[in-house]
Amino acid sequence: MAKIAIDPITRIEGHLRIEVEVDGGQVTDAWASSTMFRGIETILKGRDPRGAWLMTQRI
Amino acid sequence: MERESNNALSDVLAQKGISRRNFLKFCTAMTGALALPSVYTPRIVKALEEAPKRTPVVWLEFQDCAGCSESFLRASRPTAGEVILDVLSVDYHETIMAASGHLAEEAKKMTTDAGGHLVIVEGAIPLAEDGLHCCIGGRTAIDILEEATAKAAAVIAVGSCATFGGVPKASPNPTNAVGVMELVKNVPVLNLSGCPVNVVNLTATVVHFLTFGALPAMDDLGRPLFAHGALIHDNCERRGHFDKGEFVTAWGDEGHRNGWCLYQMGCKGPIAYHNCPTVRWNDGLNWPVGGGHGCIACSEPDFWDRSVYEPVAIQEVAPPASFPPAQAEPEAMSSGSAATVGAVAGLVVGAVGAAAVVGRGGSEDQAEDQAES
Ligand code: SF4
Repeated sequence: MAKIAIDPITRIEGHLRIEVEVDGGQVTDAWASSTMFRGIETILKGRDPRGAWLMTQRI
Repeated sequence: MERESNNALSDVLAQKGISRRNFLKFCTAMTGALALPSVYTPRIVKALEEAPKRTPVVWLEFQDCAGCSESFLRASRPTAGEVILDVLSVDYHETIMAASGHLAEEAKKMTTDAGGHLVIVEGAIPLAEDGLHCCIGGRTAIDILEEATAKAAAVIAVGSCATFGGVPKASPNPTNAVGVMELVKNVPVLNLSGCPVNVVNLTATVVHFLTFGALPAMDDLGRPLFAHGALIHDNCERRGHFDKGEFVTAWGDEGHRNGWCLYQMGCKGPIAYHNCPTVRWNDGLNWPVGGGHGCIACSEPDFWDRSVYEPVAIQEVAPPASFPPAQAEPEAMSSGSAATVGAVAGLVVGAVGAAAVVGRGGSEDQAEDQAES
């Protein structure tokens, strides 16, 4: 059984890591991690809602 | 026309069907964007044609939305992107490169170990929890930035996040995000702010670097003066309405339908230093104020913590002594009418702005060249 990690996954917007467990040529398990966090929900709390669209379009 | 066969750029341009005429037009537009007199155009042409080898570029993305990459890829003049991508060798760019995983990381390491490259950074760097809020290839952004810039010729931070922290740094800054210049001290850093960066300014910066071997002159925030030397408000097409006291006061009102000034709707043009009114966006098509929404001052530090729709305090309203009084009887200002107060401030600020334009030789070339391109 082998474990393969591909990090970074390119040609996508954002940062992504994929790990797969391979057994006899078959993927037996897989994990995806998004490896970047900004806390936009936390930042939006308590803000003037009229300006929220400007920030959420930058996600 | 005979050309030396070792001239990589002209070969590539010819292959792509970009004519010599279009290449010269591009160089003229770049001279204008850099606010240089037109005598510099031949020097730019020569520098691009004779670039000894393609300058390697490593484009790092950290806490970003890839909006600056999108902006860069939207380049469509004859064509900024093509010309620049042909004189540069973009060895690493997560969003567009073919390789992934350890192959991508190895490509980057080869370039950054060799040195003399340009590093372009998009996105902020989180410092909280030892930087684990942004990891690529199992390493933190802090670590990656340090390694990639150690032997670099220069670093260009693009967009509001990489320059001043941007969205991630907005209050309460959950990940303790910072811009590049907080961390990179041993290599020159240029800040091309804006949310996103304008591709014309990025291209012009690269052209300047290739032509003069150095980054362009900067303001005290590390931003190039050619792009951030003038207030939006001083070059805005709605400025005449500001000076006359003609303001939009509700979305869709008569003033809004007639293109009046957006100051009372929260326009931050009076505090934002950026060349949007002249360079514009989407290949020069339009810009936010042209589209009917106020400027949000995205070129300025911490703009996310300003209220988008509250009017901003106008600075520098004192006129120079050499101008006639803006209004014969200043007492009239106490009428309390917001429009009157706005108009007076507008007249005074207008006088200061006019003086600044007269004093700046390059700006008119810039406007002309932009109009031509
Ligand atoms: S306040 Fe805004 S819309 Fe009005 S003139 Fe200034 S930049 Fe233009």
